[in-house]
Amino acid sequence: MNREHNNEEPHEIVHPEQYVFTPPIDIYETDEGLVLYADLPGVSVGSLELQVQDNKLTLLGKVEPQIPEGARSLHKEYEVGNFLRSFILSGEIVHSRIEAKLANGVLRIFLPKAPKAEPRRIQVNTG
Amino acid sequence: MPIFRWEQSWNPLRDLEREVDRLIQGVEFSVQGIRMPRQYPAVNIFELDHEYLITAELPGMQAQDLELTIANCVLTLKGHRNPPVIDDGQISEERFRRQERTFGEWQRSISIPDRISESNLSAEFNEGILKIHLPKLEEEQPRQIPVSSGE
Repeated sequence: MNREHNNEEPHEIVHPEQYVFTPPIDIYETDEGLVLYADLPGVSVGSLELQVQDNKLTLLGKVEPQIPEGARSLHKEYEVGNFLRSFILSGEIVHSRIEAKLANGVLRIFLPKAPKAEPRRIQVNTG
Repeated sequence: MPIFRWEQSWNPLRDLEREVDRLIQGVEFSVQGIRMPRQYPAVNIFELDHEYLITAELPGMQAQDLELTIANCVLTLKGHRNPPVIDDGQISEERFRRQERTFGEWQRSISIPDRISESNLSAEFNEGILKIHLPKLEEEQPRQIPVSSGE
């Protein structure tokens, strides 16, 4: 269970905006649609932006610095930064019914598929 | 420090001796350079005026699934991360389009300084970030000893 943030050399405390990470995700399919999970530790509902434009879903999670003022770094194994990732949605996803939930640093997005249209009989009239 | 010594060394062997020392030290150096697998979770440790602060990213954990123990200046973090489920059942492999996240048991031990008030440790878990506060023991104040005159 590892998430490589950056190289492993120790760093000075830097402003978090300097780092942008690609969050790890899981996507699975159900009969109703796709479910996407993304690990976004440190992201709150207020600091998460989800956007669908054309057929592209973009998630941007902003992470506030976790260190109180005046703290001295003794040991550093991970960097803190924002999370950014985008996905191309297939045509069957109903954009207006996408649902998202954030809990304990994990985002869950439900991407519903459009129900298959019933075959409709087209009446052919004679001229 | 010489590591290798020839019994009853005499001059012609000194060069060999030095060479063997150099080789042995070179081997030790390269052993230290081997990258160990990274432990989970990655932690950052900070020092403040009144406490030490350990932070770790544990997305998807629940506070009640985290176990923190301290004994003999070793802090142990333990937990279990459950994979997502559908209707309380495991999601079958063929449903997955992508699997990048990891799940399961993990444990990590961290040595901490001895001047810690172990009984006052506290931890908080918000938005997948664990913060452990280790308050420093208060320094003992020097005590004034009054000196009375022997009159």
